[in-house]
Amino acid sequence: MAQKLSMKQRYSALTRDLDWTPDYVDPARVFPYTAFEGIKVHDWSKWEDPFRLTVDAYCKYQAEKDKRLYAVLDGFAQGQGHLSLSDARYLNSMKLFLQGVTPLEYAAHRHFAFLARYYNGPGPRFAALCQSIDELRHTQTEVHTLSTYNRYYGGMHSWPTMFDRVWYLSVPKSFFDDAMSAGPFEFLIAISFSFEYLLTNLLFVPFMSGASFNGDLPSMTFGFSAQSDESRHMTLGLEAIKFLLEQDEANVPIIQEWIDKWFWRGYRLVALVAQMIDYMLPRKVMSWKESFELYFEEQMLGGLFKDLEFYGITPPRHVEHAIAEKDLLSHQVYWTLYSFSYAAAFTTTLPDPAHRAWLREQYPDTFERYYQPPFDRAAAIQEGGGRFFFQGLPQLCQVCQVPMLFTEPGDPTTLCQRERVYRGERYHFCSDGCQWIFDREPAKYVQAWLPVHQIYQGNCGGPTVPDVLAWYGIQDGDAGSTSARSTTPTGSAGTPKPRWGLTMPVRAITEAYEFPSRSRAELYGDDQLVHVLWKGNMLLAAAATFRVPRAMPWAEFLAGVVDPWAASDPDYRPGTGRSWTLDGRPLEPRDADTLADLGVGHKSLLTFDT
Amino acid sequence: MQYELRQQVVEPRRKTFKYLADRYGDQPVSRYVEATVGVQPTENFHYRPLWAPDHELYDETYSALRLADPYSFLDPRQYYYAPYVTARAQWHDAVGRTLRYVEDRRLFDHLPAGWRELLGGLVLPLRHYESGAQLVCVTGARFAYGTSIEQCLSYAAFDRIGLAQTLSRVGFALADGGDELLGAAKESWVGEPALQGLRRLCEELLVEPDWGAAAIGLDLADRLLYPLLYQHLDEAALRTGAGPYSLFAQHPAGWYADHRRWLDALVGTWCADPVHGAENRAILAGVVAAWLPRAAAAVTDFARGVERLVAAEAPEAVAALAERAAADLARLGVPVEPQQVTA
Amino acid sequence: MSGSREATGLDHDGGRAPSDGARQAQRVRTVGVDLQEAGEDARGVVVAVERDNPGATVTQLPGLVRIQVPGRLVIRRASVEEQLGREWETHEFQLAIVSYHGHIAEWDEDEIVIQWDH
Repeated sequence: MAQKLSMKQRYSALTRDLDWTPDYVDPARVFPYTAFEGIKVHDWSKWEDPFRLTVDAYCKYQAEKDKRLYAVLDGFAQGQGHLSLSDARYLNSMKLFLQGVTPLEYAAHRHFAFLARYYNGPGPRFAALCQSIDELRHTQTEVHTLSTYNRYYGGMHSWPTMFDRVWYLSVPKSFFDDAMSAGPFEFLIAISFSFEYLLTNLLFVPFMSGASFNGDLPSMTFGFSAQSDESRHMTLGLEAIKFLLEQDEANVPIIQEWIDKWFWRGYRLVALVAQMIDYMLPRKVMSWKESFELYFEEQMLGGLFKDLEFYGITPPRHVEHAIAEKDLLSHQVYWTLYSFSYAAAFTTTLPDPAHRAWLREQYPDTFERYYQPPFDRAAAIQEGGGRFFFQGLPQLCQVCQVPMLFTEPGDPTTLCQRERVYRGERYHFCSDGCQWIFDREPAKYVQAWLPVHQIYQGNCGGPTVPDVLAWYGIQDGDAGSTSARSTTPTGSAGTPKPRWGLTMPVRAITEAYEFPSRSRAELYGDDQLVHVLWKGNMLLAAAATFRVPRAMPWAEFLAGVVDPWAASDPDYRPGTGRSWTLDGRPLEPRDADTLADLGVGHKSLLTFDT
Repeated sequence: MQYELRQQVVEPRRKTFKYLADRYGDQPVSRYVEATVGVQPTENFHYRPLWAPDHELYDETYSALRLADPYSFLDPRQYYYAPYVTARAQWHDAVGRTLRYVEDRRLFDHLPAGWRELLGGLVLPLRHYESGAQLVCVTGARFAYGTSIEQCLSYAAFDRIGLAQTLSRVGFALADGGDELLGAAKESWVGEPALQGLRRLCEELLVEPDWGAAAIGLDLADRLLYPLLYQHLDEAALRTGAGPYSLFAQHPAGWYADHRRWLDALVGTWCADPVHGAENRAILAGVVAAWLPRAAAAVTDFARGVERLVAAEAPEAVAALAERAAADLARLGVPVEPQQVTA
Repeated sequence: MSGSREATGLDHDGGRAPSDGARQAQRVRTVGVDLQEAGEDARGVVVAVERDNPGATVTQLPGLVRIQVPGRLVIRRASVEEQLGREWETHEFQLAIVSYHGHIAEWDEDEIVIQWDH
């Protein structure tokens, strides 16, 4: 052969220049989705793909990776490898992985196909196509890996149903639905940049090192094997952002807002990982705080964002809140999961003395002072033959859908409550970050399928806890315990809806992007949702949400609704709540007043202390 | 001497995932089934797409072709990622070995008159046809309902880009390892009359809003083009001493046979669906009526271009292939009248 | 890091920059790769990278090896081939890589370069 192309030339010749400008049809009809977000791309050929992987090389190396991986899986199954785990408790993290992460891989598979179809340039389309089938690989290798465990352990048997239905899994599901429902450029910033580049190390490396460290060879192998693809995906994220920033200066503020949004969205999602690292791994790899400092503060804030300064990009909005939470996050989330684990498909246990000593050492400023006391009280309840549960359903954040368990910046004992009224309906948020996200696109977030509200609307199998668990697909033995009380809602009539609040248009492909709230008052008939918060009680991880008749008298509300829930705390004495507030204003209720008389509206927040 | 193997035996609580046991009974299932059936989410989507507010993120109505149970269709090849990528690694490896052999011995330099021009002037530009085909397939990868169908379309999309790259490598082999023929091939794709029918077909398929109709429309063109190029012309090449063409043609021909298996199974499943079967058959007949004449006209134009370079009775072959396509579809259950659909 | 040091019996300080002195001196930002700790090939790559990148720190974590370098990290095909005693394509690096931080500035048949651009 007289000439030989370099890898760069060969890649370019094989992947670029494959497309042409259509003239039998209008090109805008071929690529209809790349205009409405306001991103300007002048030259798609400026896209760089440093991996320069052609289809033949892709198949060769991917086949080799899978050959190695499936050899490990086969050997593991044959050798009864599931018996060699450090501790069966370890599998909780893998239950969570299969229920909550595997479906995200699948969602990525499907939606990278969208990018592979609708980007105008063949370079990024090819990168997206590779990622699409990589993500299918991850879905499938995860299912195959965990299939062996599924035969012997609970919590994995119904993962697709659980992802569509179970309350804590609406956190990852809504995250990815949010990205998929966005335009193709926002999706790229959301997933390739914020998720794959900014946060992937926080998400995956602890899982996989944890697997390795706890005797789970197959999970470690699939994890690292998947990560070798992730490094290509991270590159796509970084190349994408640089490409878009370089194409037009007008892109910079749009992308900055997406970074701001998706950093916070992703950060709230990895709250589930934070508790996993600190509480679910029997043998610890490193603490959440330490991995946050290493993978996020040092590598991303200290490395990446210094690089992006060049383009005028600043570190994400609200990042200071994330940094301030690093001492709190895992404890708050785990305590919440412990409190609700009667409705979860994994087990939660109290940390034993050695584990507590480790937590004190890792979190010298916070664990002993704030988080050990509730564990001590729960331990006392357990010694008395009981088990602490939160006897009710938690108030959920409208955006991240995590129970409203987070605390005010700088005050670890006060639960954070943020509120907006949009088109006459009240919405609550766990943080400034989530409120800011809602304010940008309220027409999107009013559609949220909030599990607690759906239960109260009767859409989740029935009115009692066993009904809902059956509908979730949760079986005996998936969780540690199934003994918790039922919360049966009742029914009644309406308060006038307030008419104030913001109306921010969403940037969609059509002007007519308007959907009703999925928690609107009319869905509850004569009843309404009411949130109740016991201020300063560290045993109760969040406010509770109830469905109650508007015509219910205060005394009945106290005795029939508030008292049974507050009795989750064994020290509670019925009727001792005082200093009541309603939506931030002092409230002096009389026993005979109905909730409607008192001005308690749909999704009002009542607070008290004792 | 006999060893006694002692090991702890723990009885499994279940043999497979619950949703698969509900379907097939609690018994071990294949890795293909585990990797495929029931994987796609089906309910409680949070937000409507900003780019399609009239649909859910996964929505059966992205195509008029429906299945009562999306998993009544399964890929007869049982491809999940690992076997798929392994099969394609072998395919690309075989292509690479053929092309190296051809290049090392400069076999394309010794093709009889017309064949080299056919490869460079008409076959090489089809890398753009493959690129268009990739876009058609990947639309279905996103919008098809159920993992079994979209998985086939995902792999088909990746196959098509692989075929585009494979044709480009033929271009390298024709140019002594360089990439200069690729530019000329693109000019042909947008200007050469024999190729305009195919280009127009690609462009029109890209604005077809129903992914199912687009996938079948593309397949109607494939049903004419692939057997023409890699079967009919392959035989002609062997008859006329153009062996190197045949050396290459065996690979796309092998791919096409593999590709047919899932598509024919899907069409058959659509036609036989207990709920939507009658409607699907009518829709498919409409798709065939709309696209087969266009495909036949486009591939006939192409065949006339072929005929100017090598005498192989290519246009006649296209007419026969169109009749065969109609007959094959009729056998799968699509009510088509063969005489209505030829160009 | 005490938890993992205790657990792995390895000293991790070398692999991280955040000791006080290092933090202050962190004008040159580090870049790095995490590689699977799997067999001969990975070992050869690690040795080659260490040799080609003065100032590299190598840290063992469960199942993986982390290599960090101030400023710029280069993986050279020739050096890896010398370590392995066989041909090695740079694409093969994808079988070993788990994660990285920095920007892949170059990836051709002879070398892979990771650095920050700005």
